[in-house]
Amino acid sequence: MDILENKTAWQDHFRQNWLAELKQTGTTNWKIYQHPRNEHAPGAPGIKLSESRLMLITSAGAYLRDEQQPFDEPNLYGDYTLRTFPATTPFSALAYAHGHYDPTMVQQDAQVGIPLRHLEEFVTTRQLGELAPRVVSFMGYQPDSAKTVDDFIPHVVALAKEQAVHAALLAPM
Amino acid sequence: MGLLARALEMEGIATVVVAWNGGRIRLVNPPRAVITRLARGLVFGHPGDVEQQQRVLNAALSLLEQDAPLGPVVLDEM
Repeated sequence: MDILENKTAWQDHFRQNWLAELKQTGTTNWKIYQHPRNEHAPGAPGIKLSESRLMLITSAGAYLRDEQQPFDEPNLYGDYTLRTFPATTPFSALAYAHGHYDPTMVQQDAQVGIPLRHLEEFVTTRQLGELAPRVVSFMGYQPDSAKTVDDFIPHVVALAKEQAVHAALLAPM
Repeated sequence: MGLLARALEMEGIATVVVAWNGGRIRLVNPPRAVITRLARGLVFGHPGDVEQQQRVLNAALSLLEQDAPLGPVVLDEM
């Protein structure tokens, strides 16, 4: 099972078309962008939520306003870095750098994309065992899916293992 | 996110993706997904709509208790 089936062919197409045009013109042409596809899906066993540790992963471009660098919002090639912040972070400490969605709603109510206070209620009512100490955050604009697989995903998997999580909730913005 | 979900599942970690963009997430074939009809920027619901946010969250978390891969669950949340 592969994270991205036919990754080499996908990357060749990406480099010869979308990326080549971006390098040549400085603009993104989504008409020639090939979205990644998979025919088969892997699968882990189900978990008992009330006994499990859950990690929240958001692509909202959230970061700690006073402590972390914002994501590289204007970069047309994408940003493949990540930030982590404590799951107990007050929403007032977060800022958002993404550039590919309207942040008005998440600024108004962070729970639309980062439902930490709801998840805390799940823990309080014992529907969920516990939250992983740190939330993983990144900017969801990563057009090079092969680079995502090779350079980005291993870091997130390592964080999940470090935090000994049983499950992850992924919230693409 | 679909690719990341696949990678985590391959390490034995149960995942669920909550997607507003059903068409694209289906292409990547994540092991578990909830698809809504909400707009971009609204993953779990509208600002201040606690009940909607909790409904979507409940639907997503309940999938974690089932063995994957599952077909995506489509919610009529908009």
